[in-house]
Formats: sequence, C-alpha cells, structure tokens
Amino acid sequence: MTRVGLFVTCLVDLMRPQVGFAAVKLLEAAGCEVHVPNAQTCCGQPAWNAGDDKDTAALARRIVDVFEEFDYVVAPSGSCAGMLRNHYPDVLKDDPAYAERARALAAKSHELISFLVNERGTDHVIARCEATACYHDSCSALREMGVKAEPRTLLATVEGLTLEPLKDAEVCCGFGGLFSVKYPEISERMADDKISDAACTGADTLIGPDLGCLLHLAGRMKRQGKAMRVRHVAEVLADMGEGPALGEGEP
Amino acid sequence: MSARDDILGAIRSCRRSAAVRPAAYDPPANGGDAVERFSALATRAAAEVRVLDSEADIPAAVAEVLRARNMPARVHVPDGSTLKGADWTVACEPTPPGPDDAAVTRAPFGIAETGTLAYPSARAEPASWHFRPGLEIAVLKADDILPHMENVLARVKANGMPATLNFVTGPSRTGDIEQTLELGAHGPKALAILVVRA
Amino acid sequence: MKQDPLAFREAAHKAMDDPRLKLALGRIKSHFQLGRGFAATHYPDFERLRDRGADIRAHALANLDTLLGTFERSVIARGGHVHWARDAKEAREIVLGILNESGARTVTKGKSMVTEEIALNPFLEANGIVPIETDLGEYIIQLRDEPPSHIIAPAFHLNKEDVADAFRAAHTSLDPARNLDERTTLVLEARQMLREKFEAADAGITGANFLAAQEGAAVIVTNEGNGDLTRLLPRTHIVVTGIEKVVPDLSDVAVLLRLLTRSATGQAITSYVSVMTGPRAAGETDGPEHFHVVLVDNGRTRLMGTDAEDTLRCIRCSACLNHCPIYAAVGGHAYGATYPGPIGAALNPNLLGLAAAHHHPNASTFCGRCAEVCPVKIPLPKIMRYWRAREVAAGLAPASARFGLGLWAFAAKRPALYRFGARMATRLLKRLAGKRGAVKALPLMGGWFAVRDLPAPQGKTFQEMWAEKK
Repeated sequence: MTRVGLFVTCLVDLMRPQVGFAAVKLLEAAGCEVHVPNAQTCCGQPAWNAGDDKDTAALARRIVDVFEEFDYVVAPSGSCAGMLRNHYPDVLKDDPAYAERARALAAKSHELISFLVNERGTDHVIARCEATACYHDSCSALREMGVKAEPRTLLATVEGLTLEPLKDAEVCCGFGGLFSVKYPEISERMADDKISDAACTGADTLIGPDLGCLLHLAGRMKRQGKAMRVRHVAEVLADMGEGPALGEGEP
Repeated sequence: MSARDDILGAIRSCRRSAAVRPAAYDPPANGGDAVERFSALATRAAAEVRVLDSEADIPAAVAEVLRARNMPARVHVPDGSTLKGADWTVACEPTPPGPDDAAVTRAPFGIAETGTLAYPSARAEPASWHFRPGLEIAVLKADDILPHMENVLARVKANGMPATLNFVTGPSRTGDIEQTLELGAHGPKALAILVVRA
Repeated sequence: MKQDPLAFREAAHKAMDDPRLKLALGRIKSHFQLGRGFAATHYPDFERLRDRGADIRAHALANLDTLLGTFERSVIARGGHVHWARDAKEAREIVLGILNESGARTVTKGKSMVTEEIALNPFLEANGIVPIETDLGEYIIQLRDEPPSHIIAPAFHLNKEDVADAFRAAHTSLDPARNLDERTTLVLEARQMLREKFEAADAGITGANFLAAQEGAAVIVTNEGNGDLTRLLPRTHIVVTGIEKVVPDLSDVAVLLRLLTRSATGQAITSYVSVMTGPRAAGETDGPEHFHVVLVDNGRTRLMGTDAEDTLRCIRCSACLNHCPIYAAVGGHAYGATYPGPIGAALNPNLLGLAAAHHHPNASTFCGRCAEVCPVKIPLPKIMRYWRAREVAAGLAPASARFGLGLWAFAAKRPALYRFGARMATRLLKRLAGKRGAVKALPLMGGWFAVRDLPAPQGKTFQEMWAEKK
C-alpha cells in the first residue's frame, strides 16, 4: 500500500487540527496508508524567508530524517509543500550528507489537493457543504506548486456548494508570513482588497489551501466585524465544512 | 589601472557559469498575405494605409491624403529622393518639414509582423524627417514588405550598416498622462502609408 | 523631493492615505496588467519567447567582458567614442567633460533611468548646464522637481490636473487663462514648447535599451519620438548606459524587443525603435557629428558571481512593478530610490547598501507574481531572500525578529519541547480568545494585532489529538 507521511504543518497543528484530520480522511479515501511522524515540527520556512540559512538547514535535516522513509510526503499547505519541494534542495545543497537525500525528498513532496487529483486520480468527494463560496488561490500553492484547477475540480463535486469566481483570485492576500507582522499597514490594505473582492461575489464563505492566508483574512474580517466564513479546502472536501469556521469556536 | 581595466577585470574575476549561445530565434509564422497583415497592423497602430496599384498613383494619393485632413497642398520631399521626379499635383519643398507640415519619404522596407516601416538613414533619407513633420507619408513597395525585423536587419546589413536605422510603427504617441493614449507627442501626429504593388 | 529609502513605512502610510494616488495606481490594473496579459496571450507561445530572452541575457552576462570589448571596437571603428565609468561620480564627470569640451550649454535628454541613478541632472545644473527632459512624463516631473515613480511611466502617480497645474506654472509665455482640461491640449502644448528646445540644444543625452556588440549599435525605444529628436538634431550625442545592456548582435535585440514592449505596455512594438551606430555618415544632414557612449558600472560588477547576478538580466520593462501588490498599494515614491518595486528590491541593497535599502527586499510577501511576468525570468523572490540572508550574515536583521525567530528555531529543533510548547500555546490562545472566538491583542506580535484578530485555535494540538485517537 502507498505509504504517505502527513506533513501536518505547524499552523494546522497549533491552530486547526481539523485540517489535519481532513487530510488523513481524504488520503485514506484515496487508498493511502497515512503516517504522522511525531518528530516533525516546522519545515523551516519562517527561518528561510527571513534569511536564516543555518537554522533552516538544521530544521530541514530533521524533516529529511523523519520523512524520507515514506513513498510520499503530503502537506495540506502550498507553502510548506513548496518549501520541501522547491527549496530543500537549495537549503541542503552544500551538505554532502544530505544534498542527495533532500533532492529525493523534494521529488516526492506534494500539496494535498493536487496530490489527490494528480497522483491518486481522485475526481470527486463525498461531502456536503451548503454554502455559496469563493476560492482564493494562495500564492505558494498557485505559483510554487501549480495548484489551480484541482481544488476547483473537487469543490465542484461537493453537494450543496456553489462556487463563485473570485475577481483577482491570484492576487496575494497580504499574509506572506512575517510580512503580515513587519508591514501591517500594507498587509491590511491587501487583505481589505481581497475581502472586498470576496464580498463582491455574494459568497458567504471563503475557501483556500493555506491556513496562513486564511488566519490572516479571517482575523481581519473579525476585526472589521464581517460575517463571511473562512474554511480550509481540505475541511470542505472531507465533509467537515459545516461546523464552526475559523474564529467561530470549536469545530 | 584605467576604469576600463578595472571594470573588465572585475567581470573576468567573477565569471561563474559559461552559458551557451542560444540558437537563432525562429519567430512564429505571420500567416496570410504579407500586404494584408502589414496593412492591418499598421492600421491598428493608428496609421492610415492605402494600397496603390502603381507608382503612378502616388501623386493623386498624396493629394487626397492632404485634402482629407484639411492640410495645405504642399509636401516636403528630401533632396535626392527618387520621389522628387514624380508628377506632383501639390507643391514640393526640399526643406526639412516643420511640426505641422507634411513630408513624403520612401520606406525601403516594411515588416509584416508588426506593420512597421524601416528606414536606414542616407543622404536622401534624412532620419529626422520621420520625427519633424505633423504628417509623414511613407511610400512602401509591396515587395519590400519582409516577414520579420530579423529579415530587415539581414538585408540592411548586407547593404552596409547605416549610421541610423529607424523603425516606425504608426504615429507618435504618449500614455504619460493618466495612461491614456494621445497621438502626436513629439513625432508626427499622423502617419499615412502608401503601399505600392508595382 | 528628498528620497529616503529608510522612510519606507512612513512614506507607504502617506501613500495609502492619498485618494488621488489611489486613483492613479488603479491604472496599473486597467492599463498595464490588462495590456501585458492581452499581449502575452495573443503572442504564439509567449513562454518560449521568455525562455529565449532569458537565455540570451544569461549568455550575454556570462560573456560580458568579451561583448563589451567587441562593442567598443565596433563603435570606435565607426567613428564613435567609448568611455568607461566605475561609479556614478566618474560617469557624471565624463558626461560633463564631453559637454564642456563641445561647449554645450543646453542639453536635451531622452528618458534614461541610468542618468537618474547617477543623479546626472542636478550635477549638470550645478555646473552651469541646463538639461531639459523631453519624454513627456520626465518633462512633467522635472517641472514639479520630483523623481520618477515608475520605470517607464515617470509621471504615473499624477492625474491630469497635476499636469495642467505644472504647465500653467511653467509655460508663462502662454495665456494664463487658457483651457487645460483636455489631455490632448496638454500633449500639444508640450509638443510645441519642447520642439523649440530640440532645435536649440547643443547636445543630446539618451540612455540605451540595448547595446549590440557586433554592430556597435545602441538601440532606444520610445513611443513619442523624443529620443530621436534628442539625438539627431544636436552636434553631440551622448549615450549613458549600464554595462549589462550589451548582447551579441541586433538579432538578439529583435527577440528582446518583442519581450520588452509586450511586458511593458502590452504593445507588439513601440512607435519608434531606433538603432544608432555612430556619428552621421559622410554626406548626411541629420545625426550627431560626435557620438559618445558612456559605459557605467556603478556596482553592477559587484553583483557578478553572486546569487544576485541574474538581476543584471533586467531589460527595464517594469512588468514586475506592474504586477507587484505592494507597489500597487504604495506607488513608486514610497521606495525612496531610483528603482522601485521588485527590481528595486533586487538592485538597491547593492546600489544603496544593505542597511539603507533594508525595506526593499523585506517588504515582500514572496507572492512570486513578479518572477512569473519577468520577460527574462529573473528569480526575483530568490534574490530578495538572498539579500535578507546577507542582512542576517552581516548582523543587520532587526533584533526583535532575530530573537523571535531564534526562539522558534530553538524549539523547532527539539520535537518534545516543541510539542509541549505547542500544547501550552494552543490552550492559552483558546482561553484568551474566549467566547469571542478570537484573540484581540497579545504582548507580542504587535504588528499582527495592529490590524487583525487571531482566530481561536481548537485548544488541542493535532499531534496530541492524533495520539489520543491511537
């Protein structure tokens, strides 16, 4: 059986475990044997983006050690999957003990939804979500991992869900990891543009593939007193899209 | 150490990759008839295009172009131009055109890909004449319309590289005020192209 | 206007508060993005063209010394002069020297970002020479005494009323009561006023979009035709250019032109593409008698051999600016430097220094849109990250960020500690969020809470819930 190591991601682990359980459910439905190594912590992206190459390498080595035994490494996040797939080879290129292993790990690292559709042939889900929603293409998922059609393909099979096209869906929401903290005013402006575009669709729900973007947008909407629900795409596809959304209490 | 030595030395000491010279680029085929494509694109670039059957039609076309724009019946034609000998029905001046005048020039080449005129400079083809007038009227032989800029470059170089080679597509324009296109920024406000078949 | 890149946050704040600027910046989407998108879609296999453009530029940089040598020989063989300038100061002095030697007092200028970079105009003015910008956008900002806010559209931040005000104040020979409501009128007025200047100029200064080594040619592209009037009418023409602009020959330029105009304004070609190989030929009435090319290094060689070298591929199209959400929010002046946006973030730490240019590579979400539209495939986010890493290595990263990240990394390297810490944190955050479902403030991460809440976590970590399930 295909052995998948679930890369939970630190944000899912800390803030929204339901996304992790949704990922497990979807992967098992696609015939995978899912393992969750408990020695995983963080992919190192915050350190990498901040230019701290040393700490990134230390974290990357650990992730390579922990995950290389699996057939695939799958993360419910375009940015973490992107880190493993596109950047780990760079991070560890000067370490002879890890350079090749990092490349091998990168080659089998995937974002969850695109993995299901492209590698496992998933073409529909059994799920229900009564909502009118719009989908935000998180930048890493879109540009680092090429994820665009796959979430839309699967969301189209969710019962009761109407997906409205989002204007400027491919424009950054303003999260950008530490950017959201270092340049809050600009981050706020970008969030407001995204929220305004979402509101214009008439949707009551915003869906996306990366929890960082979603926490930032949901947090901004909460500050503004806006009522739109924010959910991770994995939750909706795993039939966990009708409980409390982000910031609405415990699912 | 001269500045030249310092700069070249700095470049040489940093050499990293040895990139390979890419193969010559094959532009996508234009497709269709060259005159049609040229005319369509030049028109889209806000030039006026008239296709004439022969050189004999030039004077009448020029007179018509001026009349249609309410311009005086007068054109500037460079000394030594092969157009000087045409059967002009309008006045012909050899002096450089002013910003509201009309000038007639011969375009040795056109480019079908973009509706562009190509002007190697020469004694009888002063380069500034493509920028001075209010209206430039270009005479272009249909046979001289080549597919791509690369073809024009090869032909021009075969004749000897000139001091100036100007490519002109449509009249002068600017979007510098509110990103909205306005014609006639510094160069001609209008361009008329007479494509001559024979 | 004094430019201070360290004042980025304050300048960004001011910019985002300005409704007139917001109006102007809205044209990024409606004009630049739409134009480039349309052009890229309608060119058969635009990606193949981008690949070729990237290869041409990469090859040129890998052979830069040879190409510059060939270029120099070709220019000299055709009667022109080539000068080499290590830095901005040398470049300015060379230009002044050429002008003084020819007795030039009035100079017309085509648009040139390099001359902005080396601060040429104030230097010439201080030395008794009057430089007159002729590109309409540059002319307008020269009247307003402010720097360009965009690489190809210098007056992009202005609305037409600003232009009308500037003309009314400067063109005092005209009737003060004249109507300047229409853009057409403004353009015609500029055409009229500047034509006299073109005719009267002693010398013309332009930049170069490309240099072709084999032919010894400089190539400039304009829509207005001002570059040509600048270089053809006066006796002396000076081309000021970065050393990185050279490619092997004009057929390479033909490829890059297709990319440049589409990536910049969405045009298949600009109204004018002008190839110049030197002084006027014997018998010609037009063209300069003296042709000079000033090759400017000004830190470009410092980038070679580093992870930021690909920055030098840049053909100055401005696509990266036009697709950057940060530029769209704050505009060009907020960057306080000649080059704004993503290309600025790649260039300025080298040009201005790591400390001075700190904000430029840091004020990015790495969304990657810039790299996606760059016609020569410069990996811009990768280069911005490189500058961030250089800051860390130089001890310049801000202390609070270093501390927070250091703490995070410390825990993340120790799984048991990390899991413990995460369990504590998720419980604490849930308690703080209370019935409201979100945390409003914390004593740290003030930047987050300044503008948003933090949605409540579920209250247990995934790892502990997973362990419970098993």
